[in-house]
Amino acid sequence: MKQNERRNHASSTLLALSAAALAIPGIVSSVHAAAPAAEAELAYKASAYREADIDRSKLAAGSAARYDIDTHQLRFVSPLGRASDVAVDLSYETMSGASPWFIMPGSNGPVQVMSGASIEEERKDIQASVAHYFSTQSSAKVLLGFSTENDYRAVNVGLEASHEIPERELTLSAGFGYSDDEIEPTDPQMPDRIDSATRDSTTAYIGVAQVLSARTVVQGSISIVSNQGYLSDPYKKVWRDDLSDTVADSRPNERLQTVLGARLRHFVPNLNGALHLDYRFFDDDWDISSHTVNLAWYQNLPHDWQLTPSLRYYSQSQAYFYGPFFYSGRNDGYASSDYRLSPYGALSFRLRLERNWGQFSTNLEWESYRAAASLALDDVQLENPGLVEFDILSFGLQLHL
Amino acid sequence: MKLLLIVTALALLSACAVEPLQAWERGHLARPEMAWEPDSLRASQRDHVYFSKEASSGGASVGGGGCGCN
Repeated sequence: MKQNERRNHASSTLLALSAAALAIPGIVSSVHAAAPAAEAELAYKASAYREADIDRSKLAAGSAARYDIDTHQLRFVSPLGRASDVAVDLSYETMSGASPWFIMPGSNGPVQVMSGASIEEERKDIQASVAHYFSTQSSAKVLLGFSTENDYRAVNVGLEASHEIPERELTLSAGFGYSDDEIEPTDPQMPDRIDSATRDSTTAYIGVAQVLSARTVVQGSISIVSNQGYLSDPYKKVWRDDLSDTVADSRPNERLQTVLGARLRHFVPNLNGALHLDYRFFDDDWDISSHTVNLAWYQNLPHDWQLTPSLRYYSQSQAYFYGPFFYSGRNDGYASSDYRLSPYGALSFRLRLERNWGQFSTNLEWESYRAAASLALDDVQLENPGLVEFDILSFGLQLHL
Repeated sequence: MKLLLIVTALALLSACAVEPLQAWERGHLARPEMAWEPDSLRASQRDHVYFSKEASSGGASVGGGGCGCN
């Protein structure tokens, strides 16, 4: 009898320890499915995004100055009863500057015509979610979001579920999302510009996270996204040499995307740091495929400082209807000169410094991003002159309430 | 073929035989810097920027909304 009592006591102590471990932030999101937020938390981040001026040798007309975006984000997370939690994310952005309009043939290669530097926009976004934890192994989350810009509105809903199999150190997750978007371009009186249009996207994913050891965890995922509706860009045009004029950007009304993801987290006790390695393969029926690799090292330092250098590499192939400009029309009528559909590679370097002050923590982060045809995995014949370079400086504050 | 590759990769991943860890062995895994996204605000801001500037997006989440077309 006493032996049984001792065993029961040991078992309940183990459960309490497990619950305590699960309640620690981090393990909840990376390894295990089922523990609500242990305490309320408020986080704020301010970011300044600055695009570099376009090289004047690549500029045919318009403003050389490009886009600036200032972003303010607020996140609130709180326990909701004993088995649920709620999270609300608010985002406010102001955007200004010029963006690529169309590309013309030049004597030394394609040259960019930019819009005037008159774009002034703001974007507000709210995302809310409620998660319920059915047991220490299973949870489900409902998400609802709304985003609005001067010319764009989107409503999105989502459902995510997670289930842990403790004896195999395995966590299964799945999600389903739907977004309904509406666009009403500014200046609809411009030639070829639509008055309004709609599009929607449906996302489904499954993921498997596996603890490999006391220091290593990996995750694999597959995501399918189906987009339908108006997928062109109403603000972009395409140069037709046979017409000596521009025509509207025109893309298919459907796009099916497949995304494979793999992530690894590995802690190195001797160095008191953690390695993050992420890989993503993207493929769609517009013939675009891409590879993305993220590498980060979280180095813990004395006095609760943390320094995190990271590197991101990205390379994509072009859409089948992309061209910097066209000598004649395509048979299917599609055409786009958008640099985002062109073949290129991009390299991004980030440095983050964080300090934990006990009840709150602060962080400062800088990112420098450069896209170029020479960085692509495949050879590129003509570089799109609108490829972007930018820097982002962010300051963040996290408060445990 | 692609689907077969995906299913095989997931099957291999899920077939990894791992001894269950004890609660006291989870200290390293529980560290904040071992989370998939240690700073969710940074992750959402960054994802939105890349979504606006590149042809690819998506991953193990259902995402949000908004255009960011320029």
